[in-house]
Amino acid sequence: MSRKTKKRISTAIRVVIMAFFLLLVVLPVYWMVITSFKTSAEVLDLQNISYFPRKFTLENYAGLFSQYDYSVLLKNSLMVSVTSALVVTFFSMFGGYSLARFQFKGKQTVVLFFLITQMIPAILVIIPVYVAFSRMGLVNSYLGLFVYYVACNLPFCAITMRSFFERIPVTLEEAAKIDGCSRMQALFKVVFPIMFPGIVSVFVFGFIGAWNELIAGTIFISTPDMWTIPVGLKTLIGKYNVEWGMLTAGGVMALLPTAVMFAVMQKFIVEGLTSGAVKE
Amino acid sequence: MKKRYVPWLFLLPVLVVLLAMFGYPLLKSIVMSFQNYKLTAPDDIFFNGVENFKKLFANQETSMILRNSLAYVVISVIGQLLLGMILALALKKPFRGRGVYQSIVFLPWAFSGFVVGLIFRWSFNGEYGVVNDLLLKLGLIEEKIAWLGTPGLSLAVIIIAMIWIGIPFFAIMILAALQSIPADVYEAAEVDGCGVMRQFFQITLPYIKPTLVTTTLLRTIWIFNSFDLIVVVSGGGPANTSQTLTSYMYSAAFGSYDLGFAAAIGVMLMIVLGVYALLFLKITRYDKAGDF
Amino acid sequence: MKKRFLAAILVVAMTCGIFAGCGGSGDSGNAKDGGGNQADTGNEGTEGSEGGEDAPAAGGDVTLRFLDVSPSPERQAYFEGVFADFKNETGITVNYESVPWDDAADKITVLGSSNQLPDILTVHEFWLGQLTSAGWINPLDDYVAENLASVQTTATKILMENEKNLYGHIYRIPDGLMTKGVFYRKDWVEEINYEIPTGDDWTWDAYLDLIAALTDPEQNRYGNSFRGARGAFDPIQGMYLMGYTGGYTYDEEGNFLMDTEECAAALQKWCDVYLKGYAPKDSLNWGFAEMVDNFAGGLTGTLLNDSEVTATLMSKMDESQWGVLPVPISGVDKKQYNSTGASYAYSVASSSEHPEEATQLIDFLISAKNNIEYCKMGGLIPIRTDVGDDPTYGPSGPYAVFLEELSQDNLVFPTTYGAFDYTDLHQGMLHTELQKCLLGQITAQDVLTNIGAELTTRMKAYLEANEGATVAAPLSLQ
Repeated sequence: MSRKTKKRISTAIRVVIMAFFLLLVVLPVYWMVITSFKTSAEVLDLQNISYFPRKFTLENYAGLFSQYDYSVLLKNSLMVSVTSALVVTFFSMFGGYSLARFQFKGKQTVVLFFLITQMIPAILVIIPVYVAFSRMGLVNSYLGLFVYYVACNLPFCAITMRSFFERIPVTLEEAAKIDGCSRMQALFKVVFPIMFPGIVSVFVFGFIGAWNELIAGTIFISTPDMWTIPVGLKTLIGKYNVEWGMLTAGGVMALLPTAVMFAVMQKFIVEGLTSGAVKE
Repeated sequence: MKKRYVPWLFLLPVLVVLLAMFGYPLLKSIVMSFQNYKLTAPDDIFFNGVENFKKLFANQETSMILRNSLAYVVISVIGQLLLGMILALALKKPFRGRGVYQSIVFLPWAFSGFVVGLIFRWSFNGEYGVVNDLLLKLGLIEEKIAWLGTPGLSLAVIIIAMIWIGIPFFAIMILAALQSIPADVYEAAEVDGCGVMRQFFQITLPYIKPTLVTTTLLRTIWIFNSFDLIVVVSGGGPANTSQTLTSYMYSAAFGSYDLGFAAAIGVMLMIVLGVYALLFLKITRYDKAGDF
Repeated sequence: MKKRFLAAILVVAMTCGIFAGCGGSGDSGNAKDGGGNQADTGNEGTEGSEGGEDAPAAGGDVTLRFLDVSPSPERQAYFEGVFADFKNETGITVNYESVPWDDAADKITVLGSSNQLPDILTVHEFWLGQLTSAGWINPLDDYVAENLASVQTTATKILMENEKNLYGHIYRIPDGLMTKGVFYRKDWVEEINYEIPTGDDWTWDAYLDLIAALTDPEQNRYGNSFRGARGAFDPIQGMYLMGYTGGYTYDEEGNFLMDTEECAAALQKWCDVYLKGYAPKDSLNWGFAEMVDNFAGGLTGTLLNDSEVTATLMSKMDESQWGVLPVPISGVDKKQYNSTGASYAYSVASSSEHPEEATQLIDFLISAKNNIEYCKMGGLIPIRTDVGDDPTYGPSGPYAVFLEELSQDNLVFPTTYGAFDYTDLHQGMLHTELQKCLLGQITAQDVLTNIGAELTTRMKAYLEANEGATVAAPLSLQ
């Protein structure tokens, strides 16, 4: 086999693989998007499934805004997710740095503790925390939800941040220190700028974690004006019927911000989280 | 001297938050697992020894639920890992439109489990689901399959949904690790006449191993702990055949509000996961690297 | 220098942490003051003096919290409108809170266990055992005796009497009534020229025959929206098998009565609907939503369900397509065993600091004017007799069959599972046992034996724990 044929075969395999993954993702998403543009009569027409809306309509989207105050849900979700993700990112930067750069007694225990927090079933956290929050007046408030989301997303983000730090050569920092920078100055002037893609990624992880959370949102918040998007969407599942059209429309809209974030973040990953450092 | 506390200072904010939020529930869960603790009977809480654990082991369905959990976790993790790795390897070399392609294939991670669960539940509906309709039209099946009404199949649907959500996570992590392998290592190998397979096993794998270990470990824990898909897609049915330890606990905690029993299952879960994590790290020799 | 910079950064970081963790608590106390007495109730009465100050000030600026467990934009708008009127009339502010229906029971329990229940909550019948045994809701007998006795309909009265028999008190004021009926595809029946038996001939066997007749695989039609998931056992226990036990679920000693051979044979017939393919294979895991969706979507020919579904069907189907049949009568004793219930009834939380105002609000919610408006919105039957003549509830309205059912002589309101807490059974065993039978793993007799054993154990434990408690008896209109 010549080198050329070999290359052709490997390209062909790659194309097939990539087409497979594309289809895998696109089919369910297509189905969701297309359903959100169907009239409720068409959604419910169980004898003839339509793969493209027979009658294209925006009524589901309009309904979300006019009946369900989607803009309020959006605002609430954005507020809680952005603030908690910011704090998570900030804390992870320091925590991750510590785990990556220092050798110290108890480090294994710390990482193990991080893992253990991920092992506690959410229900066993939410109920005691709710009881404690109620004593502190933190229920039915964004603050309670915010604190909960910060705690839930921290362990993973800190561990991820650590692995980002590990990819940056220590020499960079040391060079800065030789130039007369303190550790903190070296961090802020040299390390964090290089880490920027990684920091953005961690922010996105923290954001998505909070954005999609449902149970704590349901248990902690009682006032409909304060609900987040997932809780609002869940009310579309009634006792007797499910509003599929509006539900899919809401799903599409909930997806938009995160999809945009992913579109931005994947660029950083492609460029390599460490490209700046490695190229010098 | 002064150096000893520096790493702790950096870690302090994280530790404070985590201890405050998880320390209490963790201790409380352990205590509750030895108590008769029903949310609906707040005045009737007392220690009952190992009753809750006995109840768990006396349950005839526990062995089936354990088997379900194992299948659910193992198949989901391996499926995500393999597919995620294949995707990452395919994405390693640049090509035109990679940015757009990646934004699309990484999308499932941006979904909430609740929405994915609903889409799958609806698509796999035996009567009006789009999956059966497609399979029928393609001539792959002759009769509609009652996906969610057949023992085994309903769990399969949940696993498919779980894999679907999780591929991007592995792909992103592995891809990031792949990017950090210096290109000259491959060049040298090529000069030495190493085949693709050897390159993969001797260069790529060792390089991305730390990432694989951490990601697999974290993901296993998450999958074990996630029940939203199960609750939404099948509710554990039919006849508990798609119930896992975690979803079973969810219905124990919320269905009967028996927190003591739920905590007992939770403690079991944590023990199983803890042992798994330690073994996993030992076997992969990750602990020797001094990182964990 | 170095050290100082480091320290400064860490102080900032830590302050953030502290702010997040604790500093906020004071903040939020004010932020969500709309929630009113929440902070106070959280203190578990240890600061009685503080809580006490709130109460005397009642007349002026009382704020009540109201929890709706089945939110929809329509309901929220309705309630907020009524609350505005209420404020105009009494000066009492009411805040609307809600929780998605699927999570309602969970949320109420968590709220209750941490003393955070709102003043007024909407309560489903299934939660009563739990809420009353936990002591989270107040008896309302006095209110009923003073204000409702003269205007309630017979069905309302029976509903309340039943509650009193079971739980010792009346804890809920119904929002509206519903009863069961069989929704069917009128057009399909006409198509196949089938004559549906009426009167004494409309028995459960006749119903099962109708299901078989409507099934037509060629046209992708099934006879029945079969229910296999949660709640699957309810119609079997509550209606179908009642004819064999005269409306009783237990004998005097608390033994389950439906585990007889006769009942098992009847249950086998019921299961045959699924096993013989008169219902989709998928229905093994169907809940309410799927049952209704499949009927409205043209896949199934009959649907045994609450009258409340009428509103949904009216909005989704054409009038010529469907009709309502009464619940079949028992072939054994020719009685119709049918339940009546409230969709969600109003209760006052025992943790409420303003129980009087809360009751006042309930009184306002079920006033003649509000009640009929509410019932028309939600597809319910008014709970009182003085709502005036409305064509919706006339002889040619959509509820005619239901109203007729509720006035028939042979109607019996059968007994329930019991006054004990059976939520876990309802979430598990009651339908999983049936599913096992539908999967061929166990027999119909096994289903009744297994369920019966568990129910008997619980009933006996209940009788033992509550001195003077007796097994409930069925009620009828006479």
